[in-house]
Amino acid sequence: MTTKTARPAALDHTLTLNVPFETPRQALIASQVLQPDPILKPQDFAVSYAAQGPCLEARFCGRDARVLRVGVSSVIDSLKTIIESLDELDQTGPSSTEASM
Amino acid sequence: MVDLNTVSPKDPAKRYYLALGLEGSANKLGVGIIKHPFLPETGAAAKDNSHDCHVEILANIRDTYVTPPGEGFLPRDTARHHRNWCVRLIKRALLEAGVRDACAELDVICFTRGPGMGAPLHSVALVARTCSLMWQVPLVGVNHCVGHIEMGREITKAKNPVVLYVSGGNTQVIAYSDHRYRIFGETLDVAVGNCLDRFARTLKIPNAPSPGYNIEQLASQCKNKETLVELPYTVKGMDLSMSGILAYIDSLAKDLFRGNKANKVLFDKKTGNTKVTVEDLCYSLQENLFAMLVEITERAMAHVNADQVLIVGGVGSNARLQEMMALMCHDRARGRVHATDERFCIDNGVMIAQAGLLQYRMGNYVKDLSETVVTQKFRTDEVYVSWRN
Repeated sequence: MTTKTARPAALDHTLTLNVPFETPRQALIASQVLQPDPILKPQDFAVSYAAQGPCLEARFCGRDARVLRVGVSSVIDSLKTIIESLDELDQTGPSSTEASM
Repeated sequence: MVDLNTVSPKDPAKRYYLALGLEGSANKLGVGIIKHPFLPETGAAAKDNSHDCHVEILANIRDTYVTPPGEGFLPRDTARHHRNWCVRLIKRALLEAGVRDACAELDVICFTRGPGMGAPLHSVALVARTCSLMWQVPLVGVNHCVGHIEMGREITKAKNPVVLYVSGGNTQVIAYSDHRYRIFGETLDVAVGNCLDRFARTLKIPNAPSPGYNIEQLASQCKNKETLVELPYTVKGMDLSMSGILAYIDSLAKDLFRGNKANKVLFDKKTGNTKVTVEDLCYSLQENLFAMLVEITERAMAHVNADQVLIVGGVGSNARLQEMMALMCHDRARGRVHATDERFCIDNGVMIAQAGLLQYRMGNYVKDLSETVVTQKFRTDEVYVSWRN
């Protein structure tokens, strides 16, 4: 999964995850929830999130494979929590097909 | 002038506020739902009514991550526990409170922003953010210590007490002045609850329901209450130091288990019989620590001329600490001690909802999600207390 690309920075280990959601609104919520948290070591690891339609695209880059693996797995843990919240608690909110965020 | 009605309830026809509180700064995960009636007397009153909001508790659910005897809780495992249980607890709380449509009924979602362990705080904050966006309900980030204080004031109706905040992570004596909860004295190293918890680990006694509770039970079985085991008494001005006491009593316990007859404190010089039991150690440790706490609390009372003490935090549910504090208060100006039981003393979601709702009613809520980043260090006096005179 890890590919080397010709990046000028030292963060040359990259990975892109595409996480499908039921609706564009859910993908947008997930990206907004993940966005605010700062990266502890920005010189070693970076991540960006974007909602593209019903998909959340997360782009990671890290200094080496280990840093990348640790960073990605912690984001996946967070995503699991967000998806569980959306799945379990969204019925009480507005209809989940509504894409009005 | 404090106007607690600056923000009107979501549905003005209902005439009440509903708040969801999420707490997860240590090994307890708490979800609470409270209701504040919309009262004319809390609006634009010159009087400070923040201690008497007529709170109604609709749900107060807690799940504790309990580790095996001899082990403490680690941030990573605690965060996993919170992630596993948070959504289930919220569902249960909504059901218990009879909230069918969270989106339409909730006025605000409150969560602990700090202080505490980073990873557990973060996992709960994620759920809070998701719910806020999903239901389009405003968020409020709450200081954990202020949560304890506001819940204690609301339950006991103590108007302006000196607060002793004692828990596993914090030990502070606090007095209110000019929109801040000011720290009069605090621990210089470990918290009193941490000292008790770690001694419980040395004794290998169970961590359920809480290590401090089990020490309290052992201490109450002490048969030799007249002769205390002498421990260091380390009050430093208005502050305390407890790590030395812990190291010393830990070494005593280890000598006791090993049967180290050379230890003259534990074993009789001539006969070699044990003079001290585990129960005696627990009793002496409690007496010593609590005497130190009572001393600095009394000094704070003298400074601010107060006659009320409010004890909050997990250790505050200890009956012996409450008793010692009551004796001091009675001797001094016939004052009163206010304390709550384990439902509100030990970390819970309701207290976060209470402090968060007060903040929300003053119009102070999260405008941008970047304000919801959790912080491990968040001192009590950093919070601007707009809801008090």
